[in-house]
Amino acid sequence: MAPTVQSSAASNDYRYLVQDDRIHGSLYTDPRVFADEMERIFTDGWVFVGHESEVPEIGDWVSRRLGTEPVLMVRNRDGAISVVANRCAHRGTTLCPQNDGNNRNFRCAYHGWTYDLDGTLLGVPGPKGFHKDSADLGLDRPGQVDDYRGFVFANRSGTAGPLSDHLGAGGTDLIDRTSNMSPTGRVRLSAGWIGQRIDSNWKMWPESDHDGYHLNFTHASMARAVPDTYYDEIVMTGEEASESATRAYDGGHLELDFRRSYTAELAWLGTTREKVADYCEALEGSYGPEKAKTIMWDGPPHALVFPNLFLAEMNIARIEPVSPGVTVHRHTPLLVEGTDESVNRRLVLQSEAAMGPASFFLTDDAVIAERMHRAFEGAAVGDDGWVDLSRGLEREQSADGQRWSDITDETTNRGFWHHYREVMASVAGDRHNGV
Amino acid sequence: MATVDEPTRRDIEAFVYLEARLADESRYDEWEALVTDDMHYWVPFGPGDYEPGTRVSYINDNRARLGTRIRQLATGVHHAQDPPSSMRRVVSNIEILSAGGEEFEVGSNFVLYEHAVQATGHLRLWAGRTTHRLRRTADGLRMAGKKVELVNSTSPLPNLPFII
Repeated sequence: MAPTVQSSAASNDYRYLVQDDRIHGSLYTDPRVFADEMERIFTDGWVFVGHESEVPEIGDWVSRRLGTEPVLMVRNRDGAISVVANRCAHRGTTLCPQNDGNNRNFRCAYHGWTYDLDGTLLGVPGPKGFHKDSADLGLDRPGQVDDYRGFVFANRSGTAGPLSDHLGAGGTDLIDRTSNMSPTGRVRLSAGWIGQRIDSNWKMWPESDHDGYHLNFTHASMARAVPDTYYDEIVMTGEEASESATRAYDGGHLELDFRRSYTAELAWLGTTREKVADYCEALEGSYGPEKAKTIMWDGPPHALVFPNLFLAEMNIARIEPVSPGVTVHRHTPLLVEGTDESVNRRLVLQSEAAMGPASFFLTDDAVIAERMHRAFEGAAVGDDGWVDLSRGLEREQSADGQRWSDITDETTNRGFWHHYREVMASVAGDRHNGV
Repeated sequence: MATVDEPTRRDIEAFVYLEARLADESRYDEWEALVTDDMHYWVPFGPGDYEPGTRVSYINDNRARLGTRIRQLATGVHHAQDPPSSMRRVVSNIEILSAGGEEFEVGSNFVLYEHAVQATGHLRLWAGRTTHRLRRTADGLRMAGKKVELVNSTSPLPNLPFII
């Protein structure tokens, strides 16, 4: 059927493009949609930046993106975390082209403007020719920066309300469960980030990462190559046989909840207590035997904190939109503190198998996303090019700010898109004069 | 730099070229027959000057995990290599860095063109330095280590599901 092309205004009618049981494929490929997302999701909303453990020393910084906006997350002189634009306030040169580093201050290579770690302009060469108040010419900064258990978020516009509202009960619980995997309650992201470049839209990643329906097909090669991974018991047992659940929390946060499927403690770590005795004892020492037992059985969540933080079991991943058709998916192993390093070595090895461009899982997801993106490159709004997301709609349940259903149901996809619709269809409020 | 006799040098160079050609042509059974039981296959992030496992690498395969990698490639349903990439690499600047007993450390540079036919159809360019650890066995030279330091390893990489 030939597409019924509507006016350009309709291409941004998000209440039409995102329906309860389907979404339109142009949402992946239309550059106007991408531009709206950079404003309404990545400027007006809260975005995950990094973890405070990544910048332990004064002057440590890491390079990040808030949507497509380049920023630095910096450890200040007073020990607090700053997020500043990675762009000189003078003529806009990138200040730090590397991934990370440690600086006493930031000096622009073009004309030598120099900034303190928090972005304050310290000095300019030839100050007599310069009559503006330097207090007005610091680095651009997001309107709000806050953290929860060391997970740092920023909201460029400053209008998004408190971080605790954004996280809600669902997001807060997910970050708590992730952080509690460490005996000290503080995780450490110090093993480096691997980036995977995928030629697909970024939204295919919150979807793919939280799709409980695809494993038997997309990851069939892994099931055949290693028949005894723990994924067999939690998701590959088939519809209704698995005790796992798919969950969508208020605020667009998602989870593939494997907790009830694990048949042994530490199944998520692929090992037994004897191999990681020091870690288990440290958990018991910190949390007491009951809570430690829950942690050891339940393992870490597999979850999205909207829009870009993937709590990927014992990895943390960031979903980085580059352009409508390019995404970078970055991950780092979730390391723990308060125990010997052997468990962290194990976690690095596990991370290398699961995540990244040479891993056993994400390589197949990447090709599927790239095929999907190509299939929608011609999508114009009309009768063709819809994505069906109706699976399980009639059997999912809801209560207390969440929906849940069978692990194979598209409750997560719908949860993402329905929140997306609310964000994208809302009229932007007054914008903070920030980054 | 080590000095070896000419027949040994020719054997080493022939091995490096054979290993490259089998990888280019996705002939993984034959490729796997070239490795020792203690093989380590490593694609580090940044320069390979750290102990593998202390920070995250692209690939850090012991023999067992390398076996899994090759079994996955052989399933016929590994979408990331279905169909396999069409590849050709040019290997050059071969130097024997050290020779001790029956082992040789061999450095070389490579440029690899990959036609990523699975989805995008892009021609992808890979370049870097390979360090082979080769061992003389009763069956001839075998590979006990392969370290591949990509020139752009600190930037995000596209899919790397084949043997590089």
